[in-house]
Amino acid sequence: MSNNSIISNLINICGEKNVSNDASVLEAYSSDMSYVEAKAPLCVAWPSNAKKIEEIVKLANKLYFSIIPISSSAGPRLHGDTIPQKDNCVVLDLSRMKKLLKLDKKNRVMMIEPGVTFGDIIPTLEKKGLKLNIPLHPRASKSVLASTLEREPVTIPRHMWDSSDPLLCTEVIFGTGDLFRTGTAGGPGTIKQQEKAGIAQLNPMGPTQFSPYRVIQGAQGSMGVVTWATIKLEMKPTIQKVYHLQSDDLQELLDFHHDLIKYRLCDELLILNNLNLACLLKQTPQEINNLAKELKKWNLIYVLAGRGKLANDKLEYLMGDIADIMEEQGLDPSKEKEIINDTNILRVLRQPDTDSWRMRLKGGHQDIFFLSNFERIPEFVSIMESQNSYDLGVYIQALNLGTSHHCEFNIYYNPNNAEESKHLKENFLKTCTKLMDAGAFFNRPYGPWAKEAYERHSASTQSALKKVKKIFDPNNVLNPGVLCFDD
Amino acid sequence: MVLEEDTFKEFEKAVGVGNVNDGEVITDAYAYNWCMEMFNYMDGKEPLPYSSRPKAVILPSSTEEVQKVVKLCNKYGIQVKAQSTGLGPWNCVSSNNSIVVDLRRMNKIVKIDEKNLYCVVEPYVSGAQLQAEIMKYGLNCHMPGAGPQVSPLASATSMNGPGFTSPSTGHSSRNVLGVEWVLPDGEIMRLGSWGMKNNPDWFNGDGPGPSLRGIMRGWAGAKSGLGIFTRVAVKLFPYPCSTDFELSGHSPNYDFKIPDFMRLYVMDCKNFKRLDEIIIQVEKEEISFMCSYLSGLAVMAIFANSFEQMMELMAVGGMKAPLVVIIAARTKREFEYKQKVMDYILEKNKLANIIGKQYTPYPVFYAEALRSNLGLHGFIATGGFQSTLGQCDTAKMCLNSATLNVPAKQLFIKKGAVANDFGEGVWMTSYESGHYFHAESPTMFDQTNKHSVKGTAQYFERSNEIGLVKHLGAPFFVEGDRWHDMFGPHMHNYHLWLRKIKEAFDPNNIADGGFYITPGKDKKGALKK
Ligand SMILES: Cc1cc2nc3c(=O)[nH]c(=O)nc-3n(C[C@H](O)[C@H](O)[C@H](O)COP(=O)(O)OP(=O)(O)OC[C@H]3O[C@@H](n4cnc5c(N)ncnc54)[C@H](O)[C@@H]3O)c2cc1C
Repeated sequence: MSNNSIISNLINICGEKNVSNDASVLEAYSSDMSYVEAKAPLCVAWPSNAKKIEEIVKLANKLYFSIIPISSSAGPRLHGDTIPQKDNCVVLDLSRMKKLLKLDKKNRVMMIEPGVTFGDIIPTLEKKGLKLNIPLHPRASKSVLASTLEREPVTIPRHMWDSSDPLLCTEVIFGTGDLFRTGTAGGPGTIKQQEKAGIAQLNPMGPTQFSPYRVIQGAQGSMGVVTWATIKLEMKPTIQKVYHLQSDDLQELLDFHHDLIKYRLCDELLILNNLNLACLLKQTPQEINNLAKELKKWNLIYVLAGRGKLANDKLEYLMGDIADIMEEQGLDPSKEKEIINDTNILRVLRQPDTDSWRMRLKGGHQDIFFLSNFERIPEFVSIMESQNSYDLGVYIQALNLGTSHHCEFNIYYNPNNAEESKHLKENFLKTCTKLMDAGAFFNRPYGPWAKEAYERHSASTQSALKKVKKIFDPNNVLNPGVLCFDD
Repeated sequence: MVLEEDTFKEFEKAVGVGNVNDGEVITDAYAYNWCMEMFNYMDGKEPLPYSSRPKAVILPSSTEEVQKVVKLCNKYGIQVKAQSTGLGPWNCVSSNNSIVVDLRRMNKIVKIDEKNLYCVVEPYVSGAQLQAEIMKYGLNCHMPGAGPQVSPLASATSMNGPGFTSPSTGHSSRNVLGVEWVLPDGEIMRLGSWGMKNNPDWFNGDGPGPSLRGIMRGWAGAKSGLGIFTRVAVKLFPYPCSTDFELSGHSPNYDFKIPDFMRLYVMDCKNFKRLDEIIIQVEKEEISFMCSYLSGLAVMAIFANSFEQMMELMAVGGMKAPLVVIIAARTKREFEYKQKVMDYILEKNKLANIIGKQYTPYPVFYAEALRSNLGLHGFIATGGFQSTLGQCDTAKMCLNSATLNVPAKQLFIKKGAVANDFGEGVWMTSYESGHYFHAESPTMFDQTNKHSVKGTAQYFERSNEIGLVKHLGAPFFVEGDRWHDMFGPHMHNYHLWLRKIKEAFDPNNIADGGFYITPGKDKKGALKK
């Protein structure tokens, strides 16, 4: 089937205005900040609803083209997972599907389409007295749904009861073109009928004896195209107090951090090195460098929060209990220096980012991130530091009720400096594989990491994933080439 | 001998002499289980408490031995049914071409990881054993309402997972981290970080990439229909109060020193509308250790040690919509704060806590709450029981489903088939600080009486159908071909996907799918042989 016929079929489905193969349009989808080789898609389509997506996926199976779903309205895209790997790729840009389909305060849940961004939703939730467990200062243009599908780390570990949170139920078009609903959204009955029965699509598990949402998550768009999802929300606190503890000894902070999560004492909880904290809080390179110099190397940030009539009582109890823990651990509370102000920290913890905080220092960054257990974090930091000659940001985030830790290293560089860029590119993957060899768990393996991560994982995992892929996308029409789905 | 002599010898070589038995004394014992009579009747068979007789019972002691057994089953076209602690009909084989793999020799707590807040257990570790060990670290585990005697591994990987502590310890399926899994074709799969070749560890069960935990189980587990789990890492939680545990006396009238910072509230919300509002108010405060709605009779049952004692508790039993909350705290400050919140909620909603006023439970009640024994305790006064409903989403849906179920149950009460709880017997619990809820309707019947068994089975079917036609979600026991084929067409044909998973992961149909799903007609594998 010729490219023209693919495009004309897509126009029949989406309308002329919603399909483009204009070179300038395609360019934006051909490359990103990662080291994945640039390649232009055949065209971009902006479908407006699930029905059209279903038709497109069925068409892809018939005409043998590939589909790359994208949800965020604008970049910078970072991981190379949406750059075409094969010919005849159609980008399905869902960023115009922006409806907030339901906001249910009583049940602390919302139902959103893929195009709803952090910038759109955070102010709406705040007005309603609600709050979303978000990644660290997320890009305003980033799709909330895509962020949860990618299992991006969120900043309140005690509200993350499972690695899949805050994602709940989904509506998905599998690679076969079949529409499916996961969790309680699966039915019986339509969403309206379910609502009449009192269901708010809160339970992600099922239907019955499997949980397909878990295989859609982390799949980089290769199992199904999600057309809406329900997302878990929390109540917005009415008062909050920010704590910032500094030390030159990472272990000292980690031990205290462990008790905070074990006893579920705080809301946001994270560790940053001085450079990353400065990048988050300041705008210009000079301001960043100045603040970084003022800060000690390691910075633990946590927020205590209370709500309603007894908010102050709650804070008092938490502060008292935490002071006891500090005393037990021989920590000096006077290490809490007020170098930075609470409002600024709360802004970066609660609000979306209008530019990208990781771009501020040098104009470019390459990120390395993986999961670690608690004990090995300092070891991975040392490996990284020994491998790196660039300005290095470090971000450590406890996840999943403190059972694992996201370790993120941001290598800051100037993309306009050809030599620096070249050197980094040559060494980037080497550093990553060194970490993998040491046991860093790259559980979200983007671009070139995938091959390396799967090679270092038991063969039965790959074989099982391929079986699953064959079930839900037998003709490999969805984002071919990502993860271990290269054949 | 039911196994061919050579086959027997091969199994024996795999697991050691004395660990394979195909004599009738043993295999008959494994054919018996609680509620089997009811499931038999629903399958169109005689309501006897026995399943088909397993071909043999095999006791492996390690993952590698399990693998050898599964490979032999593939070689000889024999199906395999795993069991951990073995409570319930789901452990029984669905044909006499099936062997039982009893995992009782795999009984080790492999690891208690205090820093990463999880433990790794083998199948025959019970919740009670595990809890006794982790308490030493100030930690607690989630246990299903079935009680501390059952296997946390079976619950996490293969069964259901609601428990009385679910508001603070979640649901079994959501607590799973790394997993070790012998697939039906004999391959060993290790999920998440446990599958890494370099420095494998148990702290995460997802990926790289998509999470195969979604294939492993759903709201309900695959009940041995998709292979055998040999080790699992599950999350641990802070122990809710002081771990001093001072128990004396004899069963069932133990004495117990109630920990300093623990308090029980039983409040009558009067009707379901108010109950729905109040339970959410409580849970949004994130203070409860336990938070359940129990019907009046069920509250009586968790407090009583005998039928006679239960009858003395009518003051409690007369409540229309009792909400049972336990708060517990590690420190005095925490305890005072939590009590203040409860006082505030009580005052705001004009509620009274009957505990300490109209009723004071025996101290051992608190011990049982801490040991996750209240669910099991509720059945001390009865004979046979099974739960209907089991849908999970909002409190409102749960209460709707409880209401809609009453006439169906009453019909069978009138027929004298099920015990009279006015049709109202329900347990509903919150999960994860009220982010979701489930409700089930425990139903008492006489397992030795054919009329009672048949009536209960008919009521069970009726109750499941209500779930379907009233769009309340799939109940607990939508499992096995008949139920999947009934619900699937109303639920985006999920049964077809589930069947594809079964076919892809179990090409020879070796894992007994009686309580899961079986391959399509043209792919019956071992059963065809
Ligand atoms: C009074 C009472 C109350 C109950 N309340 C609850 C409740 O609140 N919540 C709840 O979830 N359940 C409840 N149950 C149901 C059930 O008994 C429990 O779910 C219990 O966890 C199952 O028993 P078990 O742990 O002994 O596991 P088993 O009976 O050994 O196993 C359960 C199932 O998993 C399979 N299986 C076991 N081990 C493995 C393995 N290693 N690999 C693969 N498959 C395996 C078995 O074949 C079986 O199908 C209750 C039961 C009773 C009697």
